Amino acid sequence: MKPQDTPIKNSLISTPEPSESKVPAGKSVKIDIRDLNFYYGKSQALHSVTLPIPDYAVTAIIGPSGCGKSTLLRTINRIYSLYPEQRAEGEILIDGKNILRKADLADLRRRVGMVFQKPTPFASSIRANVAFALSYYEKLAKWEQDERIEQALRQAALWDEVKDKLNQSALSLSGGQQQRLCIARTIAVRPEVVLFDEPTSALDPISTARIEELLHELRGQFTIVIVTHNMQQAARVSDKTAFFHMGELIEFDDTSRIFTNPSVARTQDYITGRYG
Amino acid sequence: MDTTDPSKPQAGPSGDPDVTDRRADTELGIAGTTMRTRGVWPERLFHAFTGGAAWFVLLILLAVTYSMASGGWLAFKTFGFAFVTSDKWDVVNGQFGALVPIYGTLVTSAIALIIAVPISIGIALFLTEIAPAWTRQPIAMAIELLAAVPSIIYGMWGLFMFAPFMATHIEPWLNDHLGSVPIIGPLFTGPPIGIGMLTAGIVLGIMVIPFIASVARDVFNAVPASLRESAVALGATRWERLCHVTLPHTRSAIVGAIFLGLGRALGETMAVTFVLGNAHDLSVSLLMPSNSIAAAIANEFTEADTALYRSSLIALAFMLFVVTFIVLSIAKLMLARVERNMGRTH
Repeated sequence: MKPQDTPIKNSLISTPEPSESKVPAGKSVKIDIRDLNFYYGKSQALHSVTLPIPDYAVTAIIGPSGCGKSTLLRTINRIYSLYPEQRAEGEILIDGKNILRKADLADLRRRVGMVFQKPTPFASSIRANVAFALSYYEKLAKWEQDERIEQALRQAALWDEVKDKLNQSALSLSGGQQQRLCIARTIAVRPEVVLFDEPTSALDPISTARIEELLHELRGQFTIVIVTHNMQQAARVSDKTAFFHMGELIEFDDTSRIFTNPSVARTQDYITGRYG
Repeated sequence: MDTTDPSKPQAGPSGDPDVTDRRADTELGIAGTTMRTRGVWPERLFHAFTGGAAWFVLLILLAVTYSMASGGWLAFKTFGFAFVTSDKWDVVNGQFGALVPIYGTLVTSAIALIIAVPISIGIALFLTEIAPAWTRQPIAMAIELLAAVPSIIYGMWGLFMFAPFMATHIEPWLNDHLGSVPIIGPLFTGPPIGIGMLTAGIVLGIMVIPFIASVARDVFNAVPASLRESAVALGATRWERLCHVTLPHTRSAIVGAIFLGLGRALGETMAVTFVLGNAHDLSVSLLMPSNSIAAAIANEFTEADTALYRSSLIALAFMLFVVTFIVLSIAKLMLARVERNMGRTH
């Protein structure tokens, strides 16, 4: 069976255009990863990865478990530096500035938001969750803050469900709602980049579909990087796809090309389900 | 013919040449029953054992309550409600009132918690979040060792080392600087003798720190890494993360840790006996000697030569029971309210 005949292709066709048009050729690079090596103590997880992530597009990172895709994501906002035994070598240029060398981490994390695999609402009200980071970066009047909270919740497609209970505990929401709350919390500070680390893998199919819809709506507003183990999801939501294996970048291309006509045999094997 | 009685499955099907499908039915029933008889005994034993263990606690509690209530009955009957409201503890004339020991118990425990809670939470946060990895284990061990020190050691240390130190250094200073402040002034006036409610409260505080700290450490360790990372990914500093994410997330478990310390402070006997002064005088000043329920019982039980005296001491024990129950209930209610108002208070 040729890869072209796989269900993946069908699902690709059934989605509203893989929106190649949104990433015109030569569009500027937002995050320029150059020769990145990453180590957990002594074991190396990424091997000289070079990956230019385009501005205002959705870039998916796929690959089998343990291939380093989450690791790559965790270097972009330097969350790994919470753990002293983890280190990165190489360069990650965001708008031309190397964030691995010298960076104001709080500022970096305002510009680069992250949504995690499992929803992680804080044990406070829905309002306080969205306002959490807002209050760290901006001195806003009460009404301005309320406006920003509403805006973020609308962007995250959660407003209608929570507008009457903003003071209730965020823990009372369903899993899918919690994840959208985490997205709202992240985009409330108006980041430039949003990193999604398998954002739907802990959710049921309906919640997953809603998050994917949301990703569609958010594209074009932020530079989005999404790690997923779900290839159909990558095909549905992304403009560009990077395929990783054993800590190396195997192939990086337009999503439509990766899923229909990859140039590397290993990529083809993976997307046709021969391993992974 | 009716379906076979499941309680005697062997008899049924063989002696029943009835319709085949019913036989099949019964045979299924047998299979089910035999499986159940095979699995049922360990199951029942386990159930009985765990259930019995749980009921045992309740039984002990009831037995203790009953024996204290009946032992103190004479005192309650003689003095009525005045037993709780009177501050007279006059052995010679046979007048007994529990107000002073109750007050002393509550005040010393309150001082203990005021001192121990912030320090314990500080220790626990330091150990889980801030300390370099190699220092965590030794410090945690030291705290657990502190918990294992017998209370008589704390008492002797309190009497021979700490009380003189309080008398010569701390209490004169308190007298001079806080004694004349309005409202709180009366708390800190009086002769600096070193023995009294403040000293006892501080010693108690030191004693409960290891309990609260080690439970709080486990609680903070159990905060999921993803929650920490989410806060950090939003740009929170360590302080912001601890205040706005870790502490709210662990609130009820931390209150549980404080309860544990409080329980110990309320019932502590030996150390308090050494440094509290065992005086049945009601005094506002924290520098003055007082008495606590547990200390009074320990000190006077051997001397209780009349039935009423003995009964009064048992009634005192009953009061400790009641006080503990009330304090813990209030704390539980407060926690429930905080949980309910969480959205509004944050």
